Amino acid sequence: MDFSDSTLDDHLFGIDTDENPIARLIRAWIDERHAPDLLVFQAALIDDLMQKLHEQGLVVSALQSDESTTEEEHLRITLVKTDMERAKFLIRSYMRVRLHKIEKYAAFILQTTEEQQKLSNAELVHAQRYQQMLANHFHATVLDALPESTHALDQTFPDGTSMITRPDRDHPVFVHARVPCPDVLLPDGDKITLEQGSIHLLRYRTIDTLLARGQVNLV
Amino acid sequence: MALPVSLHASTTPQELEFIAGYDMIEIMPSVRTDRIRVLSGTYGPLDALRTTKVPVWMALHLKARKKCRIVSPAWLSVDYLQDRLAEETSDKAFSLLPFRYAEIAKLLLDSAAEDIESADKIRLILKDIHEARQAKSREGLHQINDVNLRVRNICALELNDIRPSFVKSMDILIKLSPQAQQSHEEEDTFRDWSMGDDSYPVAADSTMETEW
Repeated sequence: MDFSDSTLDDHLFGIDTDENPIARLIRAWIDERHAPDLLVFQAALIDDLMQKLHEQGLVVSALQSDESTTEEEHLRITLVKTDMERAKFLIRSYMRVRLHKIEKYAAFILQTTEEQQKLSNAELVHAQRYQQMLANHFHATVLDALPESTHALDQTFPDGTSMITRPDRDHPVFVHARVPCPDVLLPDGDKITLEQGSIHLLRYRTIDTLLARGQVNLV
Repeated sequence: MALPVSLHASTTPQELEFIAGYDMIEIMPSVRTDRIRVLSGTYGPLDALRTTKVPVWMALHLKARKKCRIVSPAWLSVDYLQDRLAEETSDKAFSLLPFRYAEIAKLLLDSAAEDIESADKIRLILKDIHEARQAKSREGLHQINDVNLRVRNICALELNDIRPSFVKSMDILIKLSPQAQQSHEEEDTFRDWSMGDDSYPVAADSTMETEW
């Protein structure tokens, strides 16, 4: 029996791990959970799944209300429905962790156009409204009673600390190499090879480009 | 909040179990159906007494309705696990087990124990294996440094277990590392260091890859 690291999750769903939308969604979800900054929104994947869920929902309700549906078909329908519920859970989990990061880094995202491109339109609207509400709240509760010079919410202090929370790109993450990867440069100037299937604990910034290219995933 | 605090630091064992539900397993159906097309793939057709590969969640779903018998995976046997346990206790390295062995074993032993030969004995061995491996993974904390740590043959649940302490330790080492000190001194001229440029001040010492 061969369970070496290289087969990690390859046996999930059989072989076509890359093509399988659920496999991709699980990866996107777990990557998002462990990455310190917001990753690019998987728009095509989510749209595709939502569309399929909608279509399947129609088929299922049509079959369920049809009296000629056999018992065998009913069994298959319950399986399809369970699978749909599982997919919905995955989508919700994915959206939730994104929302969490969007709210946490709202000010930073709104400041940086590069970050904004990682959000869907709905997410961007949410970030704007969230930040607006937060600012209104701060003003209504405290700031309006203080002198004007203390009103800023985006100041950087002389010691380099900022009022804007930014993702810590030095945050350590467990990285799994899905394919043979090009050598990565470590912060101390050394180079290492991420063998296919190996798992390393590395700083996020060391592997962020590999992650964006899908060569590694976070575990 | 969008994400409960309990989910911030790591994934939960329940979430890992959910993912392991997509692992493939063989079943011996007792009903006949057409192919089953779901979002995660197409499985079947189910035919009585012919083994078929389906995801674990589907197998357990059918099992709960008494529509199949689960074929215990080859690694979930007393002989195989006993050998691994012997390795765990004699060898410093982790023995080779499926990445999600703990979750799958739990799912199967919880809901389909009657299909697994000597399930009670397997439970005991799994517990011993888990304890032996847990001791080792904690030992690994001694080898942590601020740039890179390779972990071999570790499993999803163990990774989850060590994550909070390992990540925190490495984080502290990073903050104490010479690069961090240097970048702090350069703050005035290079304040956005942490955001844009990917070049690093090279440190004098170079602790390299640690393997365990």
